[in-house]
Amino acid sequence: MSDWKQNLQKTRYVMDVFFLIGFMIVSAPQATGVPLHEWFSVVLIVPFVIHLLLHWDWAKASFKRLCSKVTMKERFNIVWSYLIYLMMLLVFVSGFLVSEAIFPFLDISLEIQAFWSKLHHDSATFIMPMLGVHLALHWSWMVKFTKRMMTKEKAA
Amino acid sequence: MKYVNYRLKPRLLIVVGISLLVSLLLILLELTPWAEQINLQGYSHGDGEKRDIPSYMRYILPFVKELILIGVPMLLTVSVMKLYGFLKRLIKPKIIKS
Repeated sequence: MSDWKQNLQKTRYVMDVFFLIGFMIVSAPQATGVPLHEWFSVVLIVPFVIHLLLHWDWAKASFKRLCSKVTMKERFNIVWSYLIYLMMLLVFVSGFLVSEAIFPFLDISLEIQAFWSKLHHDSATFIMPMLGVHLALHWSWMVKFTKRMMTKEKAA
Repeated sequence: MKYVNYRLKPRLLIVVGISLLVSLLLILLELTPWAEQINLQGYSHGDGEKRDIPSYMRYILPFVKELILIGVPMLLTVSVMKLYGFLKRLIKPKIIKS
């Protein structure tokens, strides 16, 4: 597994695994407690940005591809990726606007609105099935690379 | 991490810039009548009665909920895609033969 940094697909795989694990930890505030949930969310921005950077070429070409003749699956994948990106931003934004730990720590007073509380709860719940579909659309890639990484690890 | 570091500054600037812009637009949602209505009604979540469950379950149940919410749609989508692929393969040779 030591050469994963030299291969784009393997880098994507490793970073996506970190992102998924981080996402799952952040999405369980009942287990971690709200302060840790908020600070972990700030940390999660890093793998989120890395995920976007590692799919830079895809993202750049995606709009053109959407307007050209592509398969139904590809078209759905592009639209779904845009939607999940928007939903992720909504979860982050609404989360910061209902912050109970970060803003008080930074000495910033913020009046929490019921609207943002509801939106944060609903969008954070809704992003999970969206993520499920997003993962399913890359299922064959995930299976292929899990096998490849496991074989390499055993061989090493 | 050569794939992340490659032309990092301009790419990072664009990613963060677009994300901040979209986030600022999302904040405008609080000016909508929809937001006003929810603010008037109020919202509370998880303030109800505490259920009698073992303490360790407090750490396990949220992850079980996540696994179900992510896993079920994922497996359903994979099944639909596999079924679609299977039907496509089944129908295609018949069309070619005819």
